[in-house]
Amino acid sequence: MDAVHSLMHGFAIFFTPYNLWMAVVGCFFGTLVGILPGLGPAATIALLVPFTFGMNATAAMIMITCLYYGSKFGGSTTSILINIPGENASVVTTFDGYQMALQGRAGAALGISAIGSFVGGILGTFGLIFVAVPLADFSLGFGPAEYFSLIVMGMLTIVFLGGKSITKSLMSGVIGIALGVVGTDVVQGAPRFVYNIPELMDGIDFIVVVMGVFGIGEVLVSAEEFMKMDSIKVPFSKLWPTMKDLADSRWPMVRGTIIGFVIGALPGAGATIASFLSYGIEKSASKDPDRFGKGAIEGVAGPETANNAACSGAMAPLLALGIPASGATAVMLGALMLYGLKPGPMLFTTSPDFVWALIASMFVGNAILLIMNLPMVPLFALSLRIPYSILYPIIIVICMIGVYSLNGRMFDVWMMLGFGIAGYFMKKYDISGAPLVIGLVLGPILEQSLYRALSLAHGDMTIFVRRPVSATLLGIAVVMSIFVSFKSIKKVRSQLAEEDS
Amino acid sequence: MKKADRIFAIISLGLSAWLIQESFKYDYMTTYTPGPGFHPFWLGICLGVLSLFLIFDTVRREDTEEEKKSYLPGKKSLIRVGLILLITALLAFLMTRLGFVLSVFVFVVAILFILEKYNIFKSILYSALLSGVVFVVFRYWLEVDLPRGWLGF
Repeated sequence: MDAVHSLMHGFAIFFTPYNLWMAVVGCFFGTLVGILPGLGPAATIALLVPFTFGMNATAAMIMITCLYYGSKFGGSTTSILINIPGENASVVTTFDGYQMALQGRAGAALGISAIGSFVGGILGTFGLIFVAVPLADFSLGFGPAEYFSLIVMGMLTIVFLGGKSITKSLMSGVIGIALGVVGTDVVQGAPRFVYNIPELMDGIDFIVVVMGVFGIGEVLVSAEEFMKMDSIKVPFSKLWPTMKDLADSRWPMVRGTIIGFVIGALPGAGATIASFLSYGIEKSASKDPDRFGKGAIEGVAGPETANNAACSGAMAPLLALGIPASGATAVMLGALMLYGLKPGPMLFTTSPDFVWALIASMFVGNAILLIMNLPMVPLFALSLRIPYSILYPIIIVICMIGVYSLNGRMFDVWMMLGFGIAGYFMKKYDISGAPLVIGLVLGPILEQSLYRALSLAHGDMTIFVRRPVSATLLGIAVVMSIFVSFKSIKKVRSQLAEEDS
Repeated sequence: MKKADRIFAIISLGLSAWLIQESFKYDYMTTYTPGPGFHPFWLGICLGVLSLFLIFDTVRREDTEEEKKSYLPGKKSLIRVGLILLITALLAFLMTRLGFVLSVFVFVVAILFILEKYNIFKSILYSALLSGVVFVVFRYWLEVDLPRGWLGF
């Protein structure tokens, strides 16, 4: 009952014209970012943060959160209309969505993906309330030792479940944490790795890194490919799925919500894996699996529901534990800290108004997105007519303004360009950027937790295994590591055996 | 991909050696707690071990067909990316000298005319429109303090 009461209170705080306007702005930009290739949600959120400094934290986070799941709504549009996923979580939608479009059913595919995203978003937000509140209550007793172990476990999960190569993802994470070392150190308050460069005294801003790696890096990759987009045109009148489409999509949506939410709540797995898993399950649950890949509506409904439910799921560890599950949520975590809020177990206790207004906004935001996406998809699709050659100089200029406005200095702009080059090569060679950003955001907290835990225990390292919760978390990390190493050893052995034979 | 992995591993190995060496400049431990050198030292060790593992991995495994295809970007692509970066660096250089509006104008003209092969009239028209709209939106609507140049805007 407490949760219901708090949620009602959240709605009361949320419903001001200003907050509602921020939700609309976030939804609009989210959809646009999802549709336009070359700028993902992580970079856009980072881009928006400097412009929200003067705003109230609740309004700013409402806009950012709406943008986050709005991008998942928009991502399906390009998958269906031009066979290019607007962002990673919509890759699966190309399989059947584009086929439907070729068969003249683009409207039905767009419609069902908007409805599925809405269902996933709304049910996922209920799931968020159901999970985040007890999780936050449970983690209230966490001390620095537990927090240290939680970050270690969280980061390992992100790496193990995230990128293609575990080694490279781990290295990306370690480099991220190492970047977080630059600046004034938490132990003695003295400058560390600063080399008399005054701009480095406050450390390397995560926004600079995100804009470089995900913004400029992405632009370079897309601009290199001479991208050309030919969109299938959809008339306004054909956007509604038929009753049969809706009936066929009913169960895929329910299954997609459950899969999406659970997978999204696990650090690292995120929306992309959720959508792939949902597609696989729909295919195996279908009486006629051969239809998949040839325009089966279930292949659009399930994954599109799953990737939005995953967004709500990802908010659970972010709000209740302060652990981001992906690059985009890592940027959100950084933004929360910049607004002066302390993400983690205490957030529900110290800033209940903020948390519940944000959760309330997720219900309203999803409704706004449905309204925006169902009838207005053809309008958004018009933006695909802007040639990429015009679009990418704009993205570069906006990235520059965003980074410059952080501190009003060109040093950050040059640093962003450096990270942009790194981001380009990382993208080219499959080195995941998400662990880098998560490492950079969580690194200083990790070091601080370690320092505080050992201070309390007078330097006794066994504190991490003597406290039951901390020991369990570290135990999970160890078991996961053993499992992953065992799997890779097995792979090497089978490779060697193949070579021998 | 193997070669790329090896280059990444060698760069990371260098980074790890540098992290470890630099960490010696700071206290490793204070009385009870880790000092400022503790964290970078262990990060250096972790990165070093992972880099060696990646090098070892590149020695023993063969690239799949798909990995062979996604090898180094072609010369044409690299030149294009290099030019975009160069023009972008020029923008950053000019911003505090020519001011925001003029430098963005020059930047967009350069991208459209040199790289994207638009004709000069279209390049100038689009560029004037873009720099004008971006300036008005950021300066007056979002009230961002944009870099000013010698001419005072």
